[in-house]
Amino acid sequence: MNIDNLIEGILNGDNRSIARAISLVENSDPVSRERIIKSIYSAGNAKVIGITGPPGVGKSTIIGNIAPMLSDYGKVSILAVDPASPFSGGSIMGNRIRMQKSLSRKGIFMRSTSNRLYNGGLSEYSWDIVKILEASGSDFIILETVGSGQSDIDIMNIADITCVILAPGLGDEIQALKSGIMEIGDVFIVNKIDREGSYIAIKDIRETLNLSNKIKTPVIGINSIDIENYDKFLDYIVNWNKKNYREKYVRKLRQIVLEEIYNKYSYYIDNMDYTEDTLKRDPYTTAEIIIDSMNKIIDKSTYK
Amino acid sequence: MENGKNRKYTEAPIKVLLAKPAIDGHDRGIFVLARAFRDAGMDVIYAGLLPTPEEVVDTAINEDVDVIALSLLNGAHLTAFKNVIDIMNKKGVHDIAVVGGGIIPDEDKPALEKMGITGNFGPGTPLKIIIDHIKKRAREIRKLRENEYR
Repeated sequence: MNIDNLIEGILNGDNRSIARAISLVENSDPVSRERIIKSIYSAGNAKVIGITGPPGVGKSTIIGNIAPMLSDYGKVSILAVDPASPFSGGSIMGNRIRMQKSLSRKGIFMRSTSNRLYNGGLSEYSWDIVKILEASGSDFIILETVGSGQSDIDIMNIADITCVILAPGLGDEIQALKSGIMEIGDVFIVNKIDREGSYIAIKDIRETLNLSNKIKTPVIGINSIDIENYDKFLDYIVNWNKKNYREKYVRKLRQIVLEEIYNKYSYYIDNMDYTEDTLKRDPYTTAEIIIDSMNKIIDKSTYK
Repeated sequence: MENGKNRKYTEAPIKVLLAKPAIDGHDRGIFVLARAFRDAGMDVIYAGLLPTPEEVVDTAINEDVDVIALSLLNGAHLTAFKNVIDIMNKKGVHDIAVVGGGIIPDEDKPALEKMGITGNFGPGTPLKIIIDHIKKRAREIRKLRENEYR
């Protein structure tokens, strides 16, 4: 298997090629990543469904239930992100346990990745992996974030439809009013509605959405044990037509350019002469000097 | 090597699938291993209780793991481990290492080694020995794979 065979395998939807390509994108040097993405960029057209929410509200369970239902409407692939350990860099990925049975039955491709300590709820290469899954002929890609906090909102830049999963008892109406994750949902799901306080939770979220003029954004209460109200959720996903082309493109472009700039400047900072004069100067002035000198180099080399 | 900043394929975290491919609910040992492997900087996937051998191989292919670590404490290792190897051979998967563990009598070990299942550690084995063995097998697999893409 060299990379050309790999690309052919992706376009034919071969699971082993897709899996290996994802490993290369995650782990390898930028050269093979660029090669893979450049040759598959224009292939495929999928709806990316983002699933986000705090830890333990049932994101993986919901995916395990909804993925087989969605597969009646087209090919489904799943990408789940789990957190890496800040101490060892390792991770334990457990989302597969909640969905394995239904996946094997329907032959759905599912991949779990570690976030490799990247902030925002996704991993650095989630965009590239979504692109590979898209090129493999998927109609729906379900993207699960790590159990997110209030500020893990990167998902809204990748997903076409962002589903925020919540559960009863997570807080009062002030929590629902706060910014961050409560603003990014295209649909709000309250799981575990058999629990006490579920109607209060739905009411609080509904009221907050009405305050910010999002009357059309639905709040759906579901129960993953009896598969209650899943049909409403499914209808909403299937009938969703908005595509997020621009945000997706901008996010990736920004990431690539920033990475390039970061590498350039950090090389400069690491290799600078730290004489006593430099250390006496305040860091703001030094930073200005570095940026000015780099700008001159950039002006000369590329934009002329 | 800085955590989370790996760029070379051979140096990226080792990916391990932990599985108990038969009717066996004793998962305390496998939890201890999962934690130990995570603390050793590996990406660990646990297949959950009662997966079929087909599901184990399916998971291993989808996740593109380097090592499948099989554990059984009920004495069915010669049948269950062999099922996993057979399905892998049928699907043409030759670039994933398989290691074993559990209650495995010494006289069964040669048969398992012959199938390509190494390690076969019993209770009381120091975690360091298991981790070193997994790292060794993963390095072999990574070498094998790296040459495919040059």
